Amino acid sequence: MEGGNAFLTLLQKLAPAGVPPWVLVLSAALVGIVVLIGLVSVFVMFSVWLERKVSGHIQCRYGPMYAGGWHGWAQSLADTVKLLAKEDLIPLGSDKPLFVLAPAIMLASIFGALAVMPLAPSLYFTNLNLGLFAILAMSSMTTIGVVMAGWASNSKWALYGSMREAAQVVAYEIPLGISLLVPLMVVGTFNLREASSQQAVWLGMHWVIFQNPFVIPAFVLFFIAALAETKRAPFDLPEAESELVAGFMTEYSGLRWSFFFLEEYAAMFLMSVVAAVFFLGGFESPLTHLARRSFGEGSAIHELVAAGTLLAKAMFGVFLMMWLRWTLPRVRIDQVMGMGYKYLTPLALVCVLGAGVWEAIF
Amino acid sequence: MRTAMAAEQHGSMTLEKEARVLPSGEKEFFLDVHTQDMEVNFGPQHPATHGVMRILIRADGEIVTGAQPHLGYLHRCAEKIGESVEWLQYLPYTDRYDYLSAMNNNLGYSMAVEALMPGLEIPRRSHMIRTICAELNRIGSHLIAFGTYGLDIGAFTPFFYAFREREWIMSLFEKICGARLTYSFIRIGGVFNDAPPGWLQEIERFCDVFEEKWKEYVDLLVLNQIFVKRTANVGVIPKEMALDFGLTGPMLRGSGVDFDLRRDMPYSLYGEMVKQGVFDVVLGRGEKGTVGDCWDRTYCRVYEMIECIKIVRWCLDNIAPGPVLGDVPKVLRIPPGEAYVGIENPRGELGHYVVSDGGKIAVRVRVRGPSFTNVAILEEILPGALIADAIAIIGSTDVVIGETDR
Amino acid sequence: MNFEGIHDRLRVIRVPGLLGADLPRPPIPGEKHGKDKDPGRSGDPFVLVDPQRIVEFLHVCRDEDRLRFEVLVDLTATDPKAEDPNLWIGMNLLSIERRQRLAIKALLPKSELRMPSSTSIYRAAQWHERECAEMFGITFIGHPDPRHILLPDDWVGFPLRKDYVFPKEYHGISCE
Repeated sequence: MEGGNAFLTLLQKLAPAGVPPWVLVLSAALVGIVVLIGLVSVFVMFSVWLERKVSGHIQCRYGPMYAGGWHGWAQSLADTVKLLAKEDLIPLGSDKPLFVLAPAIMLASIFGALAVMPLAPSLYFTNLNLGLFAILAMSSMTTIGVVMAGWASNSKWALYGSMREAAQVVAYEIPLGISLLVPLMVVGTFNLREASSQQAVWLGMHWVIFQNPFVIPAFVLFFIAALAETKRAPFDLPEAESELVAGFMTEYSGLRWSFFFLEEYAAMFLMSVVAAVFFLGGFESPLTHLARRSFGEGSAIHELVAAGTLLAKAMFGVFLMMWLRWTLPRVRIDQVMGMGYKYLTPLALVCVLGAGVWEAIF
Repeated sequence: MRTAMAAEQHGSMTLEKEARVLPSGEKEFFLDVHTQDMEVNFGPQHPATHGVMRILIRADGEIVTGAQPHLGYLHRCAEKIGESVEWLQYLPYTDRYDYLSAMNNNLGYSMAVEALMPGLEIPRRSHMIRTICAELNRIGSHLIAFGTYGLDIGAFTPFFYAFREREWIMSLFEKICGARLTYSFIRIGGVFNDAPPGWLQEIERFCDVFEEKWKEYVDLLVLNQIFVKRTANVGVIPKEMALDFGLTGPMLRGSGVDFDLRRDMPYSLYGEMVKQGVFDVVLGRGEKGTVGDCWDRTYCRVYEMIECIKIVRWCLDNIAPGPVLGDVPKVLRIPPGEAYVGIENPRGELGHYVVSDGGKIAVRVRVRGPSFTNVAILEEILPGALIADAIAIIGSTDVVIGETDR
Repeated sequence: MNFEGIHDRLRVIRVPGLLGADLPRPPIPGEKHGKDKDPGRSGDPFVLVDPQRIVEFLHVCRDEDRLRFEVLVDLTATDPKAEDPNLWIGMNLLSIERRQRLAIKALLPKSELRMPSSTSIYRAAQWHERECAEMFGITFIGHPDPRHILLPDDWVGFPLRKDYVFPKEYHGISCE
């Protein structure tokens, strides 16, 4: 199964005979990339709009109301056009190649990680057996982009931001990885599609979080570590706008700045997808179960319902992150580090131990 | 310091190309990375300096090792203007120094000039309206202090909540004097005009609503665990240091010094209120950490708002019809003399030292702004704090740059 | 203890530098301001102090048991007239314990604008003295950080002096 994607099967059905297989594979990959980038971009635009609405309503405001008409739905589109049209500014004292490369690295690594995401049983971009490894590896690559951006900007605030990011990510990669071991023990696979499909029994409610009591604390730990990993409040120290002006992106503007923005929301989405797949049943839910029962395994409606379920769960995670961001103050760098090393890591280890014992007994 | 700054431009960390040779003759390869303190220009354009203050911070990584505030970016020569315009014409300039508590500034200046006019009768109703306005303005000012402090700490939402209530106060002021920020409403000898119909009733409604909403602030920010962790034991100002630096207002009370000009040296109607025990003075007690930390100062400000509501309610209960402006001539000639009058501004003691030679224009109008003295302590308490703490400390001084620079 | 009490106390313990006191006239009932000629000065009472001995004076005021003025509230100067030979140094002390203020005035001749700095007694004086120094041209001997505070470092003249001439331009920017 490895190497293919959903579009390859489609192309194999549609293509006339005699087309060499490598052409099919290549074009399927290209289609996959385009679809993934499009999907994620649309999702990011939607979540930016949603964030503004959520924050607005939390803060007794409306948020955007004019662009596009209905509740400012086109605000993100308008913003995108504005950002695209802005002047491309590179500070004179900056390290130009690194300055340009940094947002690209961040974007590339986050899309690389998102490629592993399965939308539905047969709707996927790539089907890696070590999918979770790929996600963790690729998503921690974004740190290199942040550090690069901070160093290349030749600004003290940016340097502060990137140093904080480096320290923070190193501290939180550990509890993030360890807390993911707990659901891994339950599902027994790194493959996101398989992990998701395993949770289909019990009318689609055989979620990992209901299978083992130690998964629940592990989920909380994972969520906290994911917040720190994605630089979201209360762990938004690398950009901490009241302290470091804008942290590592102080000197960025226009399109390059929007890449950072895109990366942040894409990372939120990615972490929410991982949470959904490994804790909250992936694309399985009673609705998916119903669709499968009524329309049959692999039918278009079943696939769509499954994809919708996963996106809805991911959206819920993203909403939680927004909710926290607009409620909580920011923690201090020593508190962030202390929490990561002193509390989250040992607690995650305890969860692993407990879950292992539970799995061995039951 | 300047040469150090120039050296900074080559980056804070210098990597020596040559390996260091140890006394034994060996080459030391691991010690060739030298670190030095970094000088960071905090402001004048920075989101957490509440205006155009600049603090030159010397930092060793995240730890502040030295701080030097630089003022004067907003200097508008208020004291020189005071010597150039007539007594009453100076009133609008008082609005501009602490623009968040313009009513209190008006009151301070008016009372200083009135101190030079012995025998001037100020009607009781005007005292009532003055007190209501000053206390509402204090609430508005503390709301900003609380909201922006939340922003400094990284919580956005309390800011909007604070502005929601402040908006009502603004519109109340708009109804009585037509201005929302720079009122020039409290005049020498009284207030400019009487309250419009329904104004006092609306304040009553505001008090009811505010008391409910105030609980939200306490829950949302003041008692929030992260907020407590960020502010408790941070920027501790011991009592002796607070007195030595001449701190006043919530900064002083946060350090546990029981002193409020309204209670201890009462002016206007506060003497009557003190006799009746209308309001209490909120003191920092070190509930979450040490006495005199940032949390105590915030606590003082937030709980002071409720005391203000009590004062406003007392005024609403006791206000009676009558004139609102004393018998003040159109062209003011202030008798010769000099007086210092300090009143309790939201940020501390606002003092006006006025000198008159009997003419239409003052000889000297000295403004002793509370922010000016309160900020002076930053040099002392910033070193040793983390960069994030520095933000918390600067925010907790509740500085208004218009007042430090005047 | 009212002002007279403080003044008596200061005299009894022979505070160094004390020169006397200045009291305002009592109010006249039914006075019409701006119409009558005023028979004296109004306002606050204050003690007159020798500016050269201000440090010793403040030291006693802060540490004497029955005075205890813990806080220096204000320190400023006044130029009463361009032709007046003296600048007035005005200080305001506050005793939190006894809820009492004390206004101090010192006359500093314009020909010799030097006086000791009070920062060793009250650190609050530091910034006030810096402001005084740049605005009036007073040199505070022993001040730890005698830079400009509100004005730019290269400002010429002392703006709050009555004989100050406004500059025609500043760094090529016309001021007229």
